[in-house]
Amino acid sequence: MSNEGIVDADEFEDSKVRVAADEFGRSIAKVAIGQICERIGFDSSNDSALEALADIAIRYVRDLGKTAKFYANVANRTECNVFDVIQSLEDLDSSTGFPGGSEAFTSLLQSSAMKEIIEYVEVVEEVPFAQPVPRFPIVRNRKLIPSFVQMGETPEFKHVPDWLPAFPDPHTYVYSPVWNERTSDPRSDKVELARQRRKAESSLLSLQKRLLSSGSAVTSTSEVSNGSKKSRFLAVTDGQTVNDSTEGEKAALEGDFNPVVLPGKRVKESSMENHVSILETFAPVIEALSGRVSESGENGERDFLDKRPAVRLNFNNGRKMMGDSLDLRLWNRGTGRISSWFGRDDVVDDKKRRAEYILRQSMENPLDLPQL
Amino acid sequence: MNHNQQSNEVRHDDENALSDFLASLTDYTPTIPDELVEHYLAKSGFQCPDVRLTRLVAVAAQKFVSDIAIDALQHCKARQAAVVRDKKDKQQRDKRLIMSMEDLSKALQEYGVNVKHQEYFADNPSAGLESASRDE
Repeated sequence: MSNEGIVDADEFEDSKVRVAADEFGRSIAKVAIGQICERIGFDSSNDSALEALADIAIRYVRDLGKTAKFYANVANRTECNVFDVIQSLEDLDSSTGFPGGSEAFTSLLQSSAMKEIIEYVEVVEEVPFAQPVPRFPIVRNRKLIPSFVQMGETPEFKHVPDWLPAFPDPHTYVYSPVWNERTSDPRSDKVELARQRRKAESSLLSLQKRLLSSGSAVTSTSEVSNGSKKSRFLAVTDGQTVNDSTEGEKAALEGDFNPVVLPGKRVKESSMENHVSILETFAPVIEALSGRVSESGENGERDFLDKRPAVRLNFNNGRKMMGDSLDLRLWNRGTGRISSWFGRDDVVDDKKRRAEYILRQSMENPLDLPQL
Repeated sequence: MNHNQQSNEVRHDDENALSDFLASLTDYTPTIPDELVEHYLAKSGFQCPDVRLTRLVAVAAQKFVSDIAIDALQHCKARQAAVVRDKKDKQQRDKRLIMSMEDLSKALQEYGVNVKHQEYFADNPSAGLESASRDE
């Protein structure tokens, strides 16, 4: 239904795109013919009739040119003369007849076809074309391949003259083996990868934050788990489990990550009254990750908004985002599935616990799903 | 000799007339623009740097088209006159003159150009036959 509408529009546009080669000339001819008809006395014209008449006029012009050229060639010339044109006029007008057409030899100067035209010019009022017309067709300058001489090269082969286009440069066709110059450092590669992922997550979260904060308020809390330097894993904290979780995180991590500052920023959020549990629940998360952006190196700012423990979720790949984490059906199906949200296999148990906690909290508070 | 002189004079006059006319063409701007005419003349091989010749061709084409259009106008008026019977004379005459394909094809018939459209439906045995056998 709507698809058909869209298809129709596309087809219509396609038909507009396909034009004949001399469409420009034809449209100008149509305008000129329209002006002529208007001066003669017509009020309007059918489109097909106008197009037919314009086509006939163009053919007439071309026939005049062809016949005039023919007469010039017959007289050993390449450039046309006024007499060539008069002769071709007599040729083309002979079908309708003009006075003196039947005579075999008439002076072209006395040609009555010409006289009719002279009379026409004198009698008819002058109506110039309505708009300025540019010279057409426009000839574009082609970019030519420079010759040997222009390039300042001499061809390697003696049989090749130097005014011919030059050969392409050898680097365009010679294959030379390539070695990887960079030394690969797996550790720094991992660090770099982690940094990029964090950046992506933080930008996604800031977007979410904007969306959420524009919705309704948050009395948000963002609590920083102190000293936890393992960035990407979020722990559900109420006061007690902080330590546990940080330890868990420490244990779970492999490799080194850059020390990262956990949420330091204050969330600027509008204070409407209402609740939205989800905002409350996830605002600390947002805080956490947004704080992480202004990251390594700043060891400082720990601003603590009190009230609620920070809830941090793991965003391993940005795809499984807020929508997923709010899917309560998963929770209903069984907590065993929750670990699948989180990418990491090695901290499944911790995450299971945390996830259950999050979900329980979000269940208890009124949910405002459309806000997301 | 007198005859020759006379013919010489006549030729002189004709030459003058023609050269005067060509000179006047530089002032006259035909309705068909010069660029268009030059484009199509170049397409057919007509080579002339003189603008007066292109103006001549443009004027010739303009005269040709206006002749056809005048014939079509007369056909259109004749058709309207045939439709109008007794009443509403003036109102009918004031009706807009529209150049239709029918009138144009009738006008072009005299010039040897055939642009007749097929009849949309054939409702009698004489449908589609030449107009000379039907009306007039």
